[in-house]
Amino acid sequence: MIRLRAVFSKKDRAKYISHLDLNRCMLRTFRRSGLPIWYTEGFHSHPYFSFALALSLGYESDCEILDFNLNEDIPTNEVRDRLNAVMPYGMKIISVAEQKRKVTAITNAEYSFSLVSDNPDLLMNDIENLINQEQILIEKKTKKGVKTVDIKPDMKIISCKIAEKSVDMVMRLPAGTQTNYNPSLFFEALKNASDMSFETAKIRRTGIFCENNEIFS
Amino acid sequence: MLREKIEKHLLEIQKPSRYIGGEVGSVVKDKSKVDVRFAFCFPDTYDIGMSHLGMKILYSLTNERENYWCERCFAPSEDFENIMRENDIPLYALESLDPIKDFDFIGFTMQYELSYTNVLNMLDLAGIPIFARDRTEELTQIVVAGGPCVCNPEPLADFFDLFILGEGEEVNLELMDLYYEMKKQGASRKEFLRKACQIEGIYVPEFYKFHYKGDGTVERLEVTDDAPPTVRKRIIKDFDKVYYPDNFVVPFTEIVHDRVSVEVLRGCLRGCRFCQAGFIYRPLREKHAGTIVEQTKCLCENTGYDEVSLASLSTSDHSEIAPMLSELLIYTEDEKINLSLPSLRVDNCSEELLEKIKKMRKSGLTFAPEASTQRLRDVINKNVSEEEIMNTCRIAFGGGYSSVKLYFMMGLPTETDEDIIGIAELAQRIIDLFYTMENRPKGRGVQISISCATFVPKPFTPFQFEPQDTREMIEHKQKLLLDSVNKKRVKVSYHDANVSILEAVLAKGDRRLCDVVYTAWKKGCKFDSWGEYFHFDKWLEAFEECGIDPSFYANRRISYDEILPWGHLDYYVSHEFFVRENKNAHKAVTTPHCRLKCSGCGVNREIGGRCFD
Ligand code: SF4
Repeated sequence: MIRLRAVFSKKDRAKYISHLDLNRCMLRTFRRSGLPIWYTEGFHSHPYFSFALALSLGYESDCEILDFNLNEDIPTNEVRDRLNAVMPYGMKIISVAEQKRKVTAITNAEYSFSLVSDNPDLLMNDIENLINQEQILIEKKTKKGVKTVDIKPDMKIISCKIAEKSVDMVMRLPAGTQTNYNPSLFFEALKNASDMSFETAKIRRTGIFCENNEIFS
Repeated sequence: MLREKIEKHLLEIQKPSRYIGGEVGSVVKDKSKVDVRFAFCFPDTYDIGMSHLGMKILYSLTNERENYWCERCFAPSEDFENIMRENDIPLYALESLDPIKDFDFIGFTMQYELSYTNVLNMLDLAGIPIFARDRTEELTQIVVAGGPCVCNPEPLADFFDLFILGEGEEVNLELMDLYYEMKKQGASRKEFLRKACQIEGIYVPEFYKFHYKGDGTVERLEVTDDAPPTVRKRIIKDFDKVYYPDNFVVPFTEIVHDRVSVEVLRGCLRGCRFCQAGFIYRPLREKHAGTIVEQTKCLCENTGYDEVSLASLSTSDHSEIAPMLSELLIYTEDEKINLSLPSLRVDNCSEELLEKIKKMRKSGLTFAPEASTQRLRDVINKNVSEEEIMNTCRIAFGGGYSSVKLYFMMGLPTETDEDIIGIAELAQRIIDLFYTMENRPKGRGVQISISCATFVPKPFTPFQFEPQDTREMIEHKQKLLLDSVNKKRVKVSYHDANVSILEAVLAKGDRRLCDVVYTAWKKGCKFDSWGEYFHFDKWLEAFEECGIDPSFYANRRISYDEILPWGHLDYYVSHEFFVRENKNAHKAVTTPHCRLKCSGCGVNREIGGRCFD
């Protein structure tokens, strides 16, 4: 059994494929590619596919991680090309390689997005006020119910620029097996803190990282 | 742009991937190189419509032609419909995301009567005039329908420009070719329809006017514009060679039948007297086992599905069933594909085959005796004996199953209370059989599910003359059945009687029902086949307001010499045959199936020669 890891993008119409449907979609893609998929032993034999992080419905990404197993050792470029030949529209395998680190090594993820507004200058003001607060408290739904979290300490703003009709931001948020923050928490916080109406657009995951800003691979 | 408008709201609704296309296998063309655009509309939601095989066939077939583009369109669920109406998003096709009102053809497939109001709702959402007479004189926006329900299209006649009778694989392209030619010449809609009605299988309702007698029955039919007095359905003669897609659109979200489906035969040789499909698809035609295996492999490889099902009215009647299944099983086992055989009778399978089938069958066995007593089974010509039923159950129990599901019908012609009590007694004999078996599954008791549908008389069957039971009779029989069964071991489910009544009215209705359908839709009726949306009270109001008595259509016996609303449509089976079969039914005389003996239904005469070698 050969363990491999694919980095893939999910854009355009493909961003409406839910996480639940993605597993089935990948299985069919692999079957179309004719690659020798490894199946588990036993009565309910099934292939092994595992996504490092779930991606919210409607988000795009350039850096989704899929772990899978093959039965034969096939050059990784060939695996990539065979999959890309049968991928759904809007999805593309960027690379295939061996699995270097365990998914538990993931610590955070980077997102870019636009906050569309008629008056980006005023919105920018509110954003600056918000991110300069001591704390950014927001209610987060968890399996155990709703709890209040402070996203300020873990939130890292990479860039924040005024564009013609929006404020465009890039930020990193904790991700992985421990804490997972979604940019929607920040949107919530901004909605609570600002009187400006804005719409979110072009939300995209742009990177998945381990400690020391090392790109997860 | 429409796409932006759509995307703006997609995250507010359930399963958004249903509304944005982009699935593997969907066909996107360059608009500037396309001459004729066809919106294939299914009058129900994506999950249901995407499961429909006919759509897959005609979609691929049309798109094989470089300059024709067929796209898909479904009824939006209520959440999205509200958003569409609030934001002026017209109904659009999934491939181009262009409004379907700008298409050359808007084609609906009519699979069940209770989807009629959805057609009106979709036309309205699209911004297309609901009534054909209100559409432009220009040659564009031709609204057409096909599918089993159009064998009596009269309750829909006012909404469609034309109907396509029978199998669409050839005639659809002929129709589009004619359109393409006439569009180039700058012809009008009317000119096109006059030419189109000369194509075999094309019925243009506006050229046929009904006159009624004082008692409500048809007095005569007036034909105008040189249209043919009778319109004959289309048949594919060489079914083995007929076009079959080598790819399906593979949805992201789960649909009802989420698998490869390979059509193994068309038509049916059994002649059950209640079954419309058994007559309107005659004669039985098969694909060779080799063709079926080939098509299965091709579709599995191209779609990536790991489940395949064989589609037909009765797979067991395929003359090469054993070699076909053996070969398919070798392939599917190798490739870890699940093979499902929905309409397979197990009582005449070989031991070896049975072993294999048992290995892969996950769910329990189902069986459709349709009627409990031999007398009543003879009336409906359901060629199943008690011995076969018991044998099937024995096989099921011996194979480790402790539950069976049985399908029955209620309200059949000549049925008495004894026949209803007979269902409970038959269930009891199956329970008793279970406990007499040494090798029965241990640890569990036996469970019998009985699903009881209400009989709906349908056009183009020997029972087209029959009245349906009244609601009182249906409800009495449902209660009687519930009171008769062993409640611990038997679970009974049945349909809402009102649904079956409406089905009967729409199935056997004439053109005067168009106003009722329209009025019911105006009152908010849609998705009538979805329990939670079915409002019979609104339908009753609509009947009342239009001065139509539903029992005239549902509960009246039609005499043999009456002019039928569908009498000018020719599905190859003769009227005399239906009369003869109806008389036989009342004498409980059975008719052998087509392979045993031809009963001269008329099909052979018309296709020139014999149905079987
Ligand atoms: S003509 Fe004879 S064999 Fe052919 S469908 Fe009719 S009854 Fe069957």
